[in-house]
Amino acid sequence: MRIEQHPILEFKKGEKIRFYFNGKEMIGFKNDTIASALYGLGIYKLSESKKQKRPRGIFCAVGHCSSCLMTVDGIPNVRTCITPLKEGMQIETQSQEVIKDA
Amino acid sequence: MHNIEKVELIIVGGGPAGLSAALAAANYGVNVILVEEREFLGGQLVKQTHRFFGSEKEYAGTRGLKISNLLVKEIKENEHIKVLTSSRVLGIYKDKIVTILTNNKMMKYFPKALILATGASEKFLAFENNDLPGVFGAGAVQTLMNLYGVSPAKKILMVGSGNIGLIVSYQLLQAGVEVACVIEAAPKIGGYSVHASKLRRMGVPILTSHTIKKAVGKDKVEGAIICQLDSSWREIIDTDQFIKCDAICLSVGLTPLTDLLRQTNIKTVYISELGGYIPIRDENMETNIKNLFVAGDVSGIEEATSAIIEGQIAGLNVAKRINKNVKYQLEIEKQIMEAKEELELLRAGPVGEKVRKGLKKIGLNNSKNYDERMSNEEYDISFLMRTGIPSNDNLKMKLPQSEEIFNKGPIAISECFQKFPCDPCVKGCPFDAISEEGNINNLPYVDFEKCTGCAICVSKCPGLAMFVVQKNYTDSTSLVTLPYEFLPKPMKDQTVLVLNREGTEICEGIVKRVIDGKIQDKTTVVTVEVPKEYFLETRNIKVK
Repeated sequence: MRIEQHPILEFKKGEKIRFYFNGKEMIGFKNDTIASALYGLGIYKLSESKKQKRPRGIFCAVGHCSSCLMTVDGIPNVRTCITPLKEGMQIETQSQEVIKDA
Repeated sequence: MHNIEKVELIIVGGGPAGLSAALAAANYGVNVILVEEREFLGGQLVKQTHRFFGSEKEYAGTRGLKISNLLVKEIKENEHIKVLTSSRVLGIYKDKIVTILTNNKMMKYFPKALILATGASEKFLAFENNDLPGVFGAGAVQTLMNLYGVSPAKKILMVGSGNIGLIVSYQLLQAGVEVACVIEAAPKIGGYSVHASKLRRMGVPILTSHTIKKAVGKDKVEGAIICQLDSSWREIIDTDQFIKCDAICLSVGLTPLTDLLRQTNIKTVYISELGGYIPIRDENMETNIKNLFVAGDVSGIEEATSAIIEGQIAGLNVAKRINKNVKYQLEIEKQIMEAKEELELLRAGPVGEKVRKGLKKIGLNNSKNYDERMSNEEYDISFLMRTGIPSNDNLKMKLPQSEEIFNKGPIAISECFQKFPCDPCVKGCPFDAISEEGNINNLPYVDFEKCTGCAICVSKCPGLAMFVVQKNYTDSTSLVTLPYEFLPKPMKDQTVLVLNREGTEICEGIVKRVIDGKIQDKTTVVTVEVPKEYFLETRNIKVK
């Protein structure tokens, strides 16, 4: 969900950015990171744990905790919380095989 | 072979410490390369929507993001500073070669001096299901809502009542998120009482001696189970309580980000008071490796104002070594002395005790400014620190001694009972009616003879702890002027609900005046007419 009104801050929603999440077309905004765009769309699960496959979402949002690693345009283990969203990006929840190969 | 570029100073980290270090050095002609991992400068400052405490000289009373804008503007205008954003320092080698990944290219530099201002990372807390999506660090919550305008949750549980926990809770309310409660394992609130009071008057409970046991939910947080703790931090059985929420925010402390430092032969030591492993350094912020300096949270967890000053000290020391011009040597030396003095003053009060204790362990606590008398609270604030609400005894200390004073008209009441370094009310009063007896750590007192009730202080106080009351407005009503930072803003002549210090509705009131100009800078100053019996209880309003 996006914050529409704020007493201190002004959010100028940037232009729309089209991207793909697991193949599905989605819309984010300029100045978004990949993770903020997904969270804004109500997508909370970004990765899963290795053995138990437990869901993982944003935790630190500063690129330090590795909870948000995803495959972006074919590159695995991208820190989506600090990677700016770009037009046409292909973003995928990564399987453990991908991580092993990386 | 790649070229190795010889440079004067590399600063790692574009937060408050790095920015001020760059400016301090560049102002004396040192050529600086400022490296920042993110695509923008400012570090954590850019998400701080609240006004900062401290000395007006170091931007107190200004919102964090504005401080960042001011510093970044200066950086960009300085021809001696080259900024590398979206760039990561990969390595610092024994021969002092620094490698930086920028634009997918690895660059090699050989700097004369290096300042590491890498900041801190958040601590984690062990409890069942703590890996569920919806469990956040407080920094992440701030990033989502204040940087990207994404609401982190509908209703949130805040774990930890340090300044970050309290401030982020307040920011969540401003972003339209409900805060179920703030829980704190210790028997007292960790942050400044004024931040706690701000939350309480919005109706947010603060539960001390409580901790989280478990996050509940399958794919995402749907609630939490909390319990009470006894005086030795053990769980009291049968005190489990389910809190319905869709996110849990952890603000349980920070730890210095020393990964990069540890690539060098730097000596580190574990100091719990300063957040974990910190590099050993001298009072000029220099480590055991010559020309390798640290500044800000990486040198021990404090806050942004001290980070800014530490950055200045480090930057000036580099300038002193590189700019050999005799003309400047004395001037630089003087500035270093002043910065040190200011830093010591910031740490001199009771809230600086932890930092002083930590610094003492690395041999840095021999200042003349650390006066033991200064480090005691002025009066018993244990009730306030447990509840976020001042006791009647506390209130009495700040009210006029005689009833007659109320007859003169509106007067300012300061509800600042805890000693910490802060002076915007003193510096902002156009009538010199507020004094801290010359020391920034003292409590401010209003001289009711001088005070005109102009309410400038109401929007100046970073703790939103200044109010103006006019007891005898009419025979049966009083006027109370208070700060208000929420939407929708009240309108003149509107009837609003009046809340007390606990956020309980006590009566209705009529808005008589709304000041929302440039000076107020979004802290709207609202005057409300209330029945006379509530003139000392009216501390918040709710717009219907």
